[in-house]
Amino acid sequence: MGRATSSSSSSIESSNHFAFSSTGASASSQRDLSTDLQLGLSISTSPPYGREQPSDWPPIKPPLRQALAEEENECDSATFFVKVYMDGIPIGRKLDLLAHESYYDLIRTLQHMFNTNIIWAEAEVDGDHYEKYHVLTYEDKEGDWMMVGDVPWEMFLSAVRRLKITKC
Amino acid sequence: MRRNGAEDMSEDDERQQSPRSDLEFTSNKARYCKATGSASDHPDQVLENVLENVLHFLTSRRDRNSVSLVCKSWYRVEALTRSELFIGNCYAVSPGRATARFTRVRALHLKGKPRFADFNLMPPDWGAHFNPWLLAMAKPYPWLEKVYLKRMSVTNDDLATLAESFSGFKELVLVCCDGFGTNGLASFVSKCRQLRVLDLIESEVIHDGTDWISCFPQGESHLESLIFDCVEWPINFEALERLVARSPLLKKLRLNRYVSIGQLYRLMIQAPQLTHLGTGLFSPLEIAGQGDQELDYGTAFAACRSLVCLSGFREIIPDYLPAIYPVCANLTSLNFSYANINAEQLKPIISKCHKLRVFWVLDSICDEGLQAVAATCKELRELRVFPINAQEDIDSPVSEVGLQAISEGCQKLQSILYFCQRMTNEAVIAMSKNCPDLVVFRLCIMGRHKPDPVTGEPMDDGFGAIVMNCKKLTRLAVSGLLTDKAFEYIGKYGKLVRTLSVAFAGDSDMGLKYVLEGCSQLQKLEIRDSPFGDAALRSGLHHCYYMRFLWMSSCRLTRQGCQEIAHAMPRLVVEVIRSADMEMDDFVETLYMYRSLEGPRIDAPKYVTIL
Repeated sequence: MGRATSSSSSSIESSNHFAFSSTGASASSQRDLSTDLQLGLSISTSPPYGREQPSDWPPIKPPLRQALAEEENECDSATFFVKVYMDGIPIGRKLDLLAHESYYDLIRTLQHMFNTNIIWAEAEVDGDHYEKYHVLTYEDKEGDWMMVGDVPWEMFLSAVRRLKITKC
Repeated sequence: MRRNGAEDMSEDDERQQSPRSDLEFTSNKARYCKATGSASDHPDQVLENVLENVLHFLTSRRDRNSVSLVCKSWYRVEALTRSELFIGNCYAVSPGRATARFTRVRALHLKGKPRFADFNLMPPDWGAHFNPWLLAMAKPYPWLEKVYLKRMSVTNDDLATLAESFSGFKELVLVCCDGFGTNGLASFVSKCRQLRVLDLIESEVIHDGTDWISCFPQGESHLESLIFDCVEWPINFEALERLVARSPLLKKLRLNRYVSIGQLYRLMIQAPQLTHLGTGLFSPLEIAGQGDQELDYGTAFAACRSLVCLSGFREIIPDYLPAIYPVCANLTSLNFSYANINAEQLKPIISKCHKLRVFWVLDSICDEGLQAVAATCKELRELRVFPINAQEDIDSPVSEVGLQAISEGCQKLQSILYFCQRMTNEAVIAMSKNCPDLVVFRLCIMGRHKPDPVTGEPMDDGFGAIVMNCKKLTRLAVSGLLTDKAFEYIGKYGKLVRTLSVAFAGDSDMGLKYVLEGCSQLQKLEIRDSPFGDAALRSGLHHCYYMRFLWMSSCRLTRQGCQEIAHAMPRLVVEVIRSADMEMDDFVETLYMYRSLEGPRIDAPKYVTIL
């Protein structure tokens, strides 16, 4: 998609690209470069936008920008399905981890899917009723079974192979 | 929010020839009436009565302004007969002054914030409150029927008060407004018994949790237009269905994205008399195949024989598009600005739209899609192409190729808004020659300071050709790499230009000077991120009383310079706006300057300094 170029360099890069690809005189491309440099330098000192895509340029109204961005995300989104097994149930389920934003999200889905309370690294547990809980573990790249929730979400996503929900 | 008033022209500023508009700016400029207006009372009175009857027929604002300048007698009578009051800047005149002069107003049209506020260039709570106007009108205008507000802040209480204060109130149109929520709507619709029009267009509606649709009074409704496509909250569909069923006069209905295609079907069969339809989601709420049989949407559309304006399509599933085939031949306005469709999906539709005059679309259709438009839509008057991906420096789905095609195929074009990543002078020049009727030309090359990709030249010549060849041009927005030369052209040839938008353009103060000195009809000038400074502004000061406003952000203005201007021009309000957390600096971040009879306003927030 778009390169995150700064405002001053973007015009230089683009004019470079086009100047070389056209058959125009090199003199004009020189002038454009210096004009761009001049403009680029002068503009980069003004506050409202920085190196990222500013929220106020191009002039699209925020609700529309948002609506289209949401649409974009839906089209582009990748999926990452992993198998999930629960103790005592031979048939497993599949879950798209990328459809979730955090551990909380994931736990919520799993609790709903398997109709049980799930313990993970950050869960608060009622000590008297352990038998009602299940523990969520995952198999990592090295084949080890680990409790879910110790590492940052993104790290978890890169390491997880499958999930298992075991009785306490 | 994308505007769904697609059938209206984008040019919202009508013919405002007289610089003094409806303000009594210089009271001793009255010219003398020749034979009339002399000593005797009786002839005067008769003449005034006659005049009154005649002036009732005058509807044009510009004509009325001219009439009011003839002499005192005409001024008086014109004021008595003006029933529609237009105020282009709510701070230019106080509500009290307006109601004192015009005593028999039935419709108010009021505008608040400047347009750049739409793009996050202005901090919130800047002003433009409807409330003082509302309170001022309650007694003098008991027969008020219509209020049209654009970029104003309206509260829930305001809406309730509005309905309570005016028993015959019929039409409320809120465009780009905010500050109110579903609670306010609920009170308004429940109290407003004569309501014909409720149009919420591109406005931000707060979710108070109230089911406002259920609050419309029972019994037969007078509703002719209900537009709520900008409301981003679910509505009570059953209540809506019942409302539509008891609104036999309903012609315009624009649904929000919480109405599924199945629900749309149910509404359409209740209201085949619709002329304007906003289709809502245009897909099912759940995945298809969940037990519902597929409805014949085509039949529903076919039954709407009067349909001329179609919009919505918020989460379109292209498989459903063929449903609209039956109405294409009659369509004059089609708004696809939320529809992510490609050229192949567009072609079967657009090829049937021979009568189309207004078309809003996403650049997902690419140049190829635009070529298809050019091939069929010979009656096209207004085209808007929005970017699905609002970023710079990415590949351009639409380009000079599309623009060229449109200019060749749609020669009656009057208004264009075109977002693209690349554009050539050649294509712009071609458009200037092929489309002589152009009134509005807004080109947004999204890459800042981007030159012509083929020649490497700035875009000066292209825009120059537009102002030279399009003799009716009143609104212009420029972009791409532009030097002072472009502004020289605009100043020299853009004699009818009333609105000019500039961003990331120009080399020096000369650019702004050319414009201020040359564009005699300039009313609204909005500039951002361009190297114009105090000297330029000073040179064009004489023109500023003729303008509704001037906006300059991230330019080279200094506080000192703005202070001098404020000093030199007592009837201008000079607002310096800074971001909430920024220090008071020598450089001015944003200057918003407008003429006003009232002097500095009292409701300015603390980040606004009025010099």
